[in-house]
Amino acid sequence: MSNLDPSVHDTTPKVLRHNARSHPDEVALRLKEYGIWHETTWAGYLAKVRRLALAFHDLGIGPGDVVALVGDNDVDWIATEIAAHAVGAMTLGIYRDALEEEVGYLVGYAGAKLVYAQDEEQVDKLIGLAEKVATVEHIAYADSRGMGKQTDPRLHEMAALEERGERLHAADPGAFDALVDATSGEDVAILCTTSGTTANPKLAMLPHGRFIRHAIIYLQADPKDHSDEYVSVLPLPWIMEQVYCVGFGLVARMTVNFPESQETMFQDLREIGPTFLLLAPRLWEQIAADMRARIMDASSVNQWIFDKGLKLGMKAIEEGRRSTLADVMLFSTLRDRLGFSRVRSAATGGSAMGPETFKLFLAMGVPLKQLYGQTETLGAYTLQTGEDLDVDTVGPPFQGCEVTILNPDPEGVGEIVTRHPNMFTGYFRNPEATAADLRDGWMHTGDAGYFDAKGRLVVIDRLKDIAETAGGVRFSPQYIENKLKFSPYVGEAVILGSGHEYLTAIICVRFSIVAKWAEKSRIGFTSYTGLSAEPRVYDLIAAEVERVNRTLPERQRVRRFLLLYKELDADDGELTRTRKVRRSVVGERYDQLIEALYSPVTTAHLDTEVTFEDGRKGRVVADMRIMDVGDTPAAELRKAS
Amino acid sequence: MAEADSAVTAPADDRRVFGEAVLTLENIELGFGGVKAIDDVSFEVRKGEILAIIGPNGAGKSSMLNCINGFYKPRAGSITFKGRKMPAMDPHFAAANGVARTFQNIALFRGMSTLDNLMTGRVLKMKRNLLWQALYWGPAQREEMEHRAFVERVIDFLEIQAIRRTPVGRLPYGLQKRVELGRALAMEPEILLLDEPMAGMNVEEKQDMSRFILEVNEEFGTTIVLIEHDMGVVMDISDRVVVLDYGRKIADGTPAEVRANQQVIDAYLGVSH
Repeated sequence: MSNLDPSVHDTTPKVLRHNARSHPDEVALRLKEYGIWHETTWAGYLAKVRRLALAFHDLGIGPGDVVALVGDNDVDWIATEIAAHAVGAMTLGIYRDALEEEVGYLVGYAGAKLVYAQDEEQVDKLIGLAEKVATVEHIAYADSRGMGKQTDPRLHEMAALEERGERLHAADPGAFDALVDATSGEDVAILCTTSGTTANPKLAMLPHGRFIRHAIIYLQADPKDHSDEYVSVLPLPWIMEQVYCVGFGLVARMTVNFPESQETMFQDLREIGPTFLLLAPRLWEQIAADMRARIMDASSVNQWIFDKGLKLGMKAIEEGRRSTLADVMLFSTLRDRLGFSRVRSAATGGSAMGPETFKLFLAMGVPLKQLYGQTETLGAYTLQTGEDLDVDTVGPPFQGCEVTILNPDPEGVGEIVTRHPNMFTGYFRNPEATAADLRDGWMHTGDAGYFDAKGRLVVIDRLKDIAETAGGVRFSPQYIENKLKFSPYVGEAVILGSGHEYLTAIICVRFSIVAKWAEKSRIGFTSYTGLSAEPRVYDLIAAEVERVNRTLPERQRVRRFLLLYKELDADDGELTRTRKVRRSVVGERYDQLIEALYSPVTTAHLDTEVTFEDGRKGRVVADMRIMDVGDTPAAELRKAS
Repeated sequence: MAEADSAVTAPADDRRVFGEAVLTLENIELGFGGVKAIDDVSFEVRKGEILAIIGPNGAGKSSMLNCINGFYKPRAGSITFKGRKMPAMDPHFAAANGVARTFQNIALFRGMSTLDNLMTGRVLKMKRNLLWQALYWGPAQREEMEHRAFVERVIDFLEIQAIRRTPVGRLPYGLQKRVELGRALAMEPEILLLDEPMAGMNVEEKQDMSRFILEVNEEFGTTIVLIEHDMGVVMDISDRVVVLDYGRKIADGTPAEVRANQQVIDAYLGVSH
């Protein structure tokens, strides 16, 4: 790590300036554009931030103002973010696929004065919102394409703002430094949205000094330096991407690479060969599933090698070692194909990950570690040590982070509460919520968990999601769902059973893979809905459910399931933007299906309103078959109670 | 009553005004043996507009496009382009002077990647001969890099970065159509001829393609002549519509005018004689 003193360099622009002075010619950022990687040095990074900051200052943005950002991860985004910090403003990241009303809620709630909207798509959302976002005085856009007809006086092209900043700098070369000097570590830097599995997201206030100090503490558990290459693929509004892309980028001076587009992500990742990776469980699962799908297309020799190598590798991992033979046969090639050859450290977080997927990557030689944390706690505060095979815990807490279990039951399970010096200072404009979650300096996470014998934290599920059947069997839906999702054929699963006699599941098939399987099996289909209704697809999934059932205690087994006619979608509110299932929404929208799963019928009828991608609403009427699994017919279970 | 009034006066403000004609076709007549494909058709293409040619099957639409870029030689009539009045367009003259086109049935090099297909659109702009290019040294290398940079802009514009290296034959139909548009754009055309750019596409692909056509027109000021069967698309995106029926021009005007034209309605819906 560099000679960074967090008591002096206590704001993001100060750290940036420090890096630019001490290592001006070192590469800080890389962005792929027009098929070529363009590098930005620390000096270039600072110059861009300086131009933007002076322009923002000139536009009247100052301390206490909110600057909202929406778009893809790229140099413009993070330069805008730090430029906003430099003039004393707070930044609020918004997910790029957020719908107009979500953007309206966040921008309106925070009262943003300037919005960075990357392109026409994002600008259109803001202009469409009109007076709902009346506080917005300026909209800065980077991509001028399709903007020709826009005449809104609030619009500024980023290139023009940078020119303006350059002129201001020429006129007064000391102005930028004065702005940066005026920033304070106590000031709120980031308003970070909570994931909002239950309601509208809240905005956690994260001050500069805490953000930087927590990054330093984190880096003690997982060291990084300027030789590290990181590829920024997770959405920047998410706390962990903020910590890694902005925090680690500044504090450890690791190089941050931005892919060309969402679609080229994996290709670009391979070109960079990152040394450090952070992906959400969903992405790890997707990589594993895609790998399996590709093998289905491979020659029988390759399939044989894959099966053998995988078996060898998985067996070795169970025994706490790695198989050299499997590595030579299979895994070194796989690592190369995926761009993981140089990975020294990899993390997953945001939600739980199935143990089988986890083991697969360990077997492959990707040193994957589970981390745990919340937006409010500045992201992770526990991380696996990677010392021994550990698929159940999230590791011990970082130094200086206190974690305890509140009101533990006889098995030690209770609510995880945590406290460390660098947490959020409260929710923006919401003291009631702050008082509810932050009591005596302890953050109440709402997660259920316990410590194992080695002092490692085990997270079970959301406290309110841990359910009990009518027969008094406690179970964690998420735990079973993750087991199901390890199957390449299962895209999403929702386990039900609270207050009922037995467990059931609503399952969404993973279209890309099931479609390929159907093609191979000569099953004709036209759409996702058609494929989901196909009897042989039902049989396929039933086999997967039975496989998972065998690993579960008798009374936690899934007795009936149905295949949903569509995929769960964040645009329909069924998932959060970080792709966690919103159980309340699913429970409400599909109550007809849930009722059918617990009735002596074999078909579930659904009649509901849907929102299409272009915002139109329509009605959906669908029938879905319910399938029983296991030896005991569900009807008998019902009678038994 | 009030409603009817507003319907008559409303569209006027939405019309764009266009400059001089960049291409003028006068009394074009084209026949194959005894069949008259085009019979005495005249119209002009104005700078910066999106002009749609519509008509029932066999009305002579594709033949018309083929006359414009010189694939077919009319029997009679004249074409004026770039100040040159010709009995028929010379295909090389057309291509060298900024007329590019796409085809009803995709005509790409299926074994070549998207990138290479787009690079073929630059061939006419390359000055070095084959030997220089084979050596790939000095000026030839510089030239190649310049052209590649331009092609990359087209790739970015059409959002096809992810398929840059994919052989075109492996791409789904909708994307192939987009690549074909890309190759035409790589020629930096002044006039872009699109022969059924949306045939066989689903609703989403059609929306994407419509957006790209509008953006090409808006961003680069490219004049676009297109043939399309989807009336919704035609009425939405074109500034002017020329209607052909049995090789004759039966209407020429704004979408609203054409829609109200009795002859057009008869041609499309059929009329009892």
